[in-house]
Amino acid sequence: MQHSDVTTAVAENSHFRGLFGVVGGCLLILSALGNSAWGPFEHPAAFVAGVVVLGLAAWGLNSHYNSRYGWSRPTGRHHRRMAVAMFVGAPAIFFGSLLLSSRASWSLDLPLNTIAISMALIMLMVGAATVGVRTHHVVVYGTLLVAGLLPVWEREGMSGNTGLWMAGIALIISGLLDHRLLVRRFGSGGDAHA
Amino acid sequence: MPEPDDDFALDRLIHEPGRLAILTVLTSVAEADFVFLQRTTGLTKGNLSSHLTKLEDADLVRIEKRFVRKKPNTNVTLTEHGAERIARHWAQLDRLKGLAGPGRTA
Repeated sequence: MQHSDVTTAVAENSHFRGLFGVVGGCLLILSALGNSAWGPFEHPAAFVAGVVVLGLAAWGLNSHYNSRYGWSRPTGRHHRRMAVAMFVGAPAIFFGSLLLSSRASWSLDLPLNTIAISMALIMLMVGAATVGVRTHHVVVYGTLLVAGLLPVWEREGMSGNTGLWMAGIALIISGLLDHRLLVRRFGSGGDAHA
Repeated sequence: MPEPDDDFALDRLIHEPGRLAILTVLTSVAEADFVFLQRTTGLTKGNLSSHLTKLEDADLVRIEKRFVRKKPNTNVTLTEHGAERIARHWAQLDRLKGLAGPGRTA
């Protein structure tokens, strides 16, 4: 037995609860639908209702994962690492995206999709800070990053919404693959209480 | 239980693979419930329960039983003494691995 085998198993059990990613992806797509006022999303109440449904789904998933795979509270060290990622990495990515393409006078105003680029970098950063970046993360978020970097995007128009759609789909695919990995690693057995 | 204070002695209570896995999981989290330990270590309910009792008797872990939404829930945390013992044990294993030379694992 290696120390790293056990710590990797802990990280995988805690962070491969990928159906939360599916909910997050649906939230991004819901935001895109709300922005474009598509169909019933012409009314703001439809967006709010969608958020409530997704919130309930996340609550149900939390119960499902806790009853099947257990619950743990992360260490202070883990909290500090996440805080550094959030308070250093996320602002760096945000201001980086403004620099690349925005209405700001100091922006390079490049024809990039900053939403796709930001989401790809944030997800890779979160992965690196928690369970480690796996092959499927590199493929899914690498594809999202490359798509965002293609010089075909207009700053005006529907680029932002397309970015939300792409990021949402990437989050759903990555979440499903994370969940599959969790089930393969720890089994899919029924409730276990003791 | 004698303390592993000479060069090659291993702490027998901790060195048992199931208990070593439980304590190592508990060094990676602040606290965990029974199901999390069971899934992560791959132990059966009976084995895990028996190992936890031994670890609690040796004051290496603290066990708290409670009800969460009317379902029984067992929460486990590492004691300060347990944290010291498991850290010392892994250091001892690393030392022995070093003595065994490159390419060998504990």
